[in-house]
Amino acid sequence: MVRYVILALLPFLAIFFQSTLFSFYSIRGTIPDLVLMFVVFFALINGERRGTIYGFLCGLLEDLYMGRLIGLNALCKAIVGYSLGKMQGNVFKENMLVGVLGVLAGTIINSLVMLILIVLFSGAPAIENDFFVKVLFQCLYNLLLSVPVYFWFFNSSYNGVLKA
Amino acid sequence: MFKFLRNKYFWAIILIVIASLSIMSMTTAPRQEVTVVENIIRDIYSPLQKCTGNIRGNWGGISYIFSNKRSLTERINTLEEKNKQLSLDNQLLREYQSEAKRLKKLLDFKEANIDKYTLLEAGVIARSPSNWYNTIVIDRGKNHGVYYGMPVITPEGLVGKVMQVNNTTAEVNLLTDREMAVGVILQRTRETNGLVEGLGDGNLLRMGNIPYYSSVEVNDRVITSGLSTTYPKGIDVGIVNKISREPSGLLLTAEVKPVVDFDRLEEVLVIIDYQPITDSDEVE
Repeated sequence: MVRYVILALLPFLAIFFQSTLFSFYSIRGTIPDLVLMFVVFFALINGERRGTIYGFLCGLLEDLYMGRLIGLNALCKAIVGYSLGKMQGNVFKENMLVGVLGVLAGTIINSLVMLILIVLFSGAPAIENDFFVKVLFQCLYNLLLSVPVYFWFFNSSYNGVLKA
Repeated sequence: MFKFLRNKYFWAIILIVIASLSIMSMTTAPRQEVTVVENIIRDIYSPLQKCTGNIRGNWGGISYIFSNKRSLTERINTLEEKNKQLSLDNQLLREYQSEAKRLKKLLDFKEANIDKYTLLEAGVIARSPSNWYNTIVIDRGKNHGVYYGMPVITPEGLVGKVMQVNNTTAEVNLLTDREMAVGVILQRTRETNGLVEGLGDGNLLRMGNIPYYSSVEVNDRVITSGLSTTYPKGIDVGIVNKISREPSGLLLTAEVKPVVDFDRLEEVLVIIDYQPITDSDEVE
């Protein structure tokens, strides 16, 4: 039970920190995506089925908070959860590099799917708005934070509060 | 071959994709009213964000005083000097203002200056948690008389407009958001009508559709034209940074640097009684 409460609290707190603390300490106007990070780690440890559902729910919470194009983050994060969850049985999760590279892959997948969906639905020419620079900076910021977050997430999933 | 069709997980994924796409298509257009669920989620966040905003404000102020005592003294001196100069300028401008008012009255012009509007002060408590949107959350909502579409400014210039309102907070789309567009004119010539759009980038705007024969120059000040009916006339938007010719050769595009520093917004003003000017109100 505690596990589920914490899993629900994680995206909630992530959105809170992204909208306050990190938004005031952005790197070149870019903030990290902690929600994405949790989805990636959860999917890597729990597999594609749970990863997809967790990604969808986390993204939906983010969408409902932002109130624009509801379903955008839900779908993007579900896809990230599915793709990263596919790797569950094929990687050594004890290795910190798995978490870091997972976040890198997750950020790129998330950004690309988001770009396609935004262009499809709102028709805004998002690609010229130094899209790649933004993604690059987000990758860097996410990678920086992924080390301590993965360390905590991995340990909690096997020996701590997130243990199934 | 079609074994996967009997898999519950396959149908769950299809459901997720269809549900996401259909909700997205329903929420593409700007909505004046938010749903109950969105309201509840934001009401949970708003006290937490207000609290962080206060802590940040207090801590920032205290640490600044301790770390910059000397530079603060210098700054006070400079500001005092500047204040004297500005007071003198102000006297002169007040004279011009009363003269302009008299003349306008004589000509029966409708007033469209921002000094006639009621401004509501609001603090910035949060920003968009996503890199894709440029928005801020202010600590004033329906309970304080804030509604959808109200223009938001600072003493420096235009910030954006209110897009979503809760009971105690409101979300403001910044000018730099890629979904924003404002009708503008050049303050110097007052003839070039254009449209300033957000680029999704924190520090730049683009003014498009300028005719090739326009006399637009670098360092020209861009102000709201009042034609977009969303914003009052005469609010500063930015300064022309660079001018380039569009591939067609018939139109020019100008890069506009906003006068407001969107990265450092802490307090803003909401114009709560602006009524868009309709065609019948125009005298000219």
